[in-house]
Amino acid sequence: MTRTSSSDLELSAAVGRPGGPVPPTGDGGPPPRLGGRLGLVGGKLAGAAVVLLGAATAAFAAQAALPGDRATVILNVRAGQAIQRTPEELAAINEEYGLKNPLVVQYLDYLGGLVRGDLGTSYQQHRPVAALILEQLGPTLTLTATAIVLAWLLMVTWVTLTAGRGPALRALGEAVDTAAAGLPHYWLGILLLLVFALTLGWFPVIGGTGPVGLLLPALTLAIPLAGFLGQATRAEFERSLAQPFVLSARMRGMGDAGVRLRHVLRHSVLPAVTLSGWALGATISGAVVVETVYSRAGIGTVLVSAVNAQDLPVVTGVVVLIAALYVVANLLVDLAYALIDPRLKDA
Amino acid sequence: MPKKRTALALAAASAATMMALAACSGAPAGPAADAQPVADGTIEYGHQQEPACVFGGWIEQAYLSYQVLDNLVSLDEDHEVVPWLAESWSVSDDQLTWTFTLKDGVTFTDGSPLTAGVVAYNFDHWLAGGNSTAQVWLDGYYASSRAVDDRTLEVSLSRPYPRLADTLTQGYFGIQSQQALETRSEEENCASPIGTGAFIVEEWNRGENIVLARNDHYTSWPANAKHEGPARVEKVNWRFLPDPTTRTASLKSGETDAVYDVPAIEWATVDGGGYELHKYVTPGRPQQLTFDTVDGPFVDERVRKAFAYSLDRRSLVETIGRGVIPYEGNGGVSRTTPGYSTDAAEAYDLDLDEANRLLDEAGWTRSGGEGVRTKDGEQLTVVLPYGAGSIINSDGASILQGVQEQAKASGFDVQLVPVPQSAFFSGAYSTPEEKDISAGYWTSVTAGILHINWRPTTPEAPNYNNDAFNADPVLENIILRANSAVDPQEQNALYGEAQDYIAEHALAIGLYDRLSTLAVSPFLKGVWQENAQGGPVFHDAYFVE
Amino acid sequence: MTILDRRPRFARTAPGGGTPTRRGPRRSPRPAPDLVAAVLVLVFFAVALAAPSALAPRDPFALDLVNALRPPSAEHWFGTDESGRDLYTRIVHGARQSLLIGVGATVLSLAIALVLGSLAALAGRFVAGTVNRVVEVLFAFPTLLLALLLVAVLGPSAWTQVVAVGVGTAPGYARMIRGQILSARNSGYVEAAVALGHPRGWILRTHVLPNAIRPLVAVFALSVGQSIVWASSLSFLGLGVAPPAPEWGALLDAGKIYVTQAWWLTVLPGLVIVLLALATTTIGKHIQSALEKGEK
Repeated sequence: MTRTSSSDLELSAAVGRPGGPVPPTGDGGPPPRLGGRLGLVGGKLAGAAVVLLGAATAAFAAQAALPGDRATVILNVRAGQAIQRTPEELAAINEEYGLKNPLVVQYLDYLGGLVRGDLGTSYQQHRPVAALILEQLGPTLTLTATAIVLAWLLMVTWVTLTAGRGPALRALGEAVDTAAAGLPHYWLGILLLLVFALTLGWFPVIGGTGPVGLLLPALTLAIPLAGFLGQATRAEFERSLAQPFVLSARMRGMGDAGVRLRHVLRHSVLPAVTLSGWALGATISGAVVVETVYSRAGIGTVLVSAVNAQDLPVVTGVVVLIAALYVVANLLVDLAYALIDPRLKDA
Repeated sequence: MPKKRTALALAAASAATMMALAACSGAPAGPAADAQPVADGTIEYGHQQEPACVFGGWIEQAYLSYQVLDNLVSLDEDHEVVPWLAESWSVSDDQLTWTFTLKDGVTFTDGSPLTAGVVAYNFDHWLAGGNSTAQVWLDGYYASSRAVDDRTLEVSLSRPYPRLADTLTQGYFGIQSQQALETRSEEENCASPIGTGAFIVEEWNRGENIVLARNDHYTSWPANAKHEGPARVEKVNWRFLPDPTTRTASLKSGETDAVYDVPAIEWATVDGGGYELHKYVTPGRPQQLTFDTVDGPFVDERVRKAFAYSLDRRSLVETIGRGVIPYEGNGGVSRTTPGYSTDAAEAYDLDLDEANRLLDEAGWTRSGGEGVRTKDGEQLTVVLPYGAGSIINSDGASILQGVQEQAKASGFDVQLVPVPQSAFFSGAYSTPEEKDISAGYWTSVTAGILHINWRPTTPEAPNYNNDAFNADPVLENIILRANSAVDPQEQNALYGEAQDYIAEHALAIGLYDRLSTLAVSPFLKGVWQENAQGGPVFHDAYFVE
Repeated sequence: MTILDRRPRFARTAPGGGTPTRRGPRRSPRPAPDLVAAVLVLVFFAVALAAPSALAPRDPFALDLVNALRPPSAEHWFGTDESGRDLYTRIVHGARQSLLIGVGATVLSLAIALVLGSLAALAGRFVAGTVNRVVEVLFAFPTLLLALLLVAVLGPSAWTQVVAVGVGTAPGYARMIRGQILSARNSGYVEAAVALGHPRGWILRTHVLPNAIRPLVAVFALSVGQSIVWASSLSFLGLGVAPPAPEWGALLDAGKIYVTQAWWLTVLPGLVIVLLALATTTIGKHIQSALEKGEK
């Protein structure tokens, strides 16, 4: 591999795990017109606000589009029954949720609620969605963060061991990268659960939130991610190995492991670093599946059961929250770039 | 080559899995022979479904509320009604007035006293929609209730109902604190109802668990409890583990001390492992199929019978149920229900010739004896929706797929529609136009369930629980007479007659008996299944070491 | 193996596609063995899609209660399920539904992406800016979350799966297409064409769009496999095709409860999904590197 252009990265990000965010590539947003750092920051903030507004609008539209009489659905979901409802019963619910107001008013109410941190009330549990989600956010974030760290460890070890060591090892390395990247989370999860928890008994089957219970779920997320990051890193790694500074380091008498870890690796992980931001989104998708496989508490479990129950406030609440997290994370990255990168200062 | 290597690696991985599985054993070391009971401890209990509220009209709620609320009466192993919150009771000669005398000095966990007034309030609360199942049981029989004094409750009926006490043993009739119902929010009463029971809801982590803490001041255990005094364990961690494989495995790995609903496929593996297995065939309506008698092909009795004759239900249930799930031919009530009719259960067996003859006679024809039958250009397509993952578990779904396949042989095209809970809630597949067959169960302690399921549905008085959508005065009359029959023998004979009537007209056919199963670790003793609905009882449970 | 040993570049499948021409032309016209294997896998599934009975003559729904839960054998290559249905037959007959959902979702996804991507790159400032923001919005939703949102509204079915996966995966492609169009527009030959005074529409048609869209052929191949994985994820969560349809994700979901006693019911359908995903990925990457070689 001789180069890793931004478009290559976009392509690989798009197809490797489609739909995940693609790292900022310089042509991602409108060029800052106001000039200077302040303007840039302002522009980014405005952009983020627009994105969040859009996410909220989509979430609201999804709730409004739910087929059937919403008041009846809410009542039946609450009572666990499927029966006709009297006008008096419906009136109370319509009043409580403001369902008879014009859509515009409902929309503005919804947005107003979001600003106050109010994501609505769960149909099923009569509880504020925000509280419900916040309770479950911790385990999911722990899982995804652990998975990303694990993925990096696996990837660095595997690439360092197999890259630039002759055709046979390279072929093996690449084959494993590709195969790992293509493993569906649900399948890998079941295999790991079956072998290491159900059969060998090395790990608990219903994990809980402890560190031992975290390992298999995190590994399930980490292995495909490691394969994907490995594909991006390996090429750069081999290119770096051929660079003059490697030769000079070797001539200074540095051992092979030292060269690989201290010089080559540093130069070759850049694409993977950029992809890791994207990986967060993909990993959250995976977490939904993994939490189901391992009976773990978390956002994914909440989400799947809410989808099953058509508890739309919860579904959209999760979606809006994840979108917000993603936007904030990217905003921070962008701001950091803007404040650090000297080239962007003059843009 | 990446491709080839990958395939090889994957093949190797599957081979490793196979070998690992072949080497699987896993009986835990049981407690020593001289193991002694230990005080306190927390029971880790794995349950499959999580209801929206602790108290309500669904059996999953009854299982939970049973831990927290006490009933007036309890059912013992011999199906005898024994005292619980009520010390004694009697019924007037005209069968219309029931008098319950309450235990003295019982208090709710919010400190308020248990009085006859509170119990009367609970009756009216259920009837007003506080418990949908309690409501349909009492509807049409209950007139009013009043407190004669603090300890004497008088319940008036509009028609005789000699099995009232039996009925009140079900979890739907748990008594709550009036003070809590009146002063706390709906949300609080949903998540942690206040009773006089052995445990208190300490916290509910939705999607994960409910922690039940011991009620240290418990004084009102039922007469059939295995010990006197508050619960022996400190807490019960009631965990929701919907995946049956994981749930069972968690017991084997010692992560849980007891689990509910062992899937048929795992039964043998648990059975050999030193665990205590409980199997309770719930009385009441079994898992059955009811035909829509007012719209579609099943309006014609011959078509209903043909459907019944085209199935080999026994083989299907015995194979998929792996000898654990009992076959049930009776479409009215299950074998453990008083008044069960064996004749009704044996009414239909596989008889393809008869099925084909009936269908030909009914005008549903096909050429060459193959494919889907038609009549007047319309195909013999019947819609069978089922509550996937809620009413029908995975074993049940496999059995329904078998029904679909077997009915194909005589020319039925069965459309299976797994319906998520939410869709049922929004009223999908609730009308006769939308479906042709309804699947499901309804547990009860008496055959009085027939009244709930078969009371005629009319525009003036709709019965949404009548899946046949019929209004059959003959059937209704038999059931009403049975409900009010004082002599148990006469009553059982009448209930049996009603089942025979259902079978004779092929209004419903049975599939299998619904089970409550429980597997308990050898280190946990004294867990039992209550006799009204088969839920776990943890009040008497203790650990040994 | 030997070919690869001599010219390892040709087998690499890292993202960004191989650019083998930079290291010199191939010395042999023999196709890479991984490509051959991938094509064979695809041919198999193509036959399964068009004429499943040619590969598996049995009835995928036929019960055989006596032979329930039999492990793989000469009689039942992939074993049988809890009702004695032949798993191999079911997988072959399930190919049609699984592949059509995968292909359908990919077509939908690329169609949405093409419209949004082109608008974002080529429309006037206001429209482009707005579309760009819309893409960013969709993009902020992890694929599966977006798909689940759609399932919650539409209710589970095969069509919902196509729409959910199609919409869920579209934003990534839209951004990619936009990037391709922008880079094509800024390339030397377009600048030259502009300098020569060619009309804008002509330049767009003849230079920009073809160059921007050509890579989509590779993307299409790459993403079919991924779409199948996403769609089967929905089935696995119980939010996809209804049983007893032998769609692969649904097969896996139905087999899950038997996993400790009948591993084949989960392991084998999963293996098939992985094989197909790997095959489409391999082919996609070969097309991609061939396209890049063609550009040089």
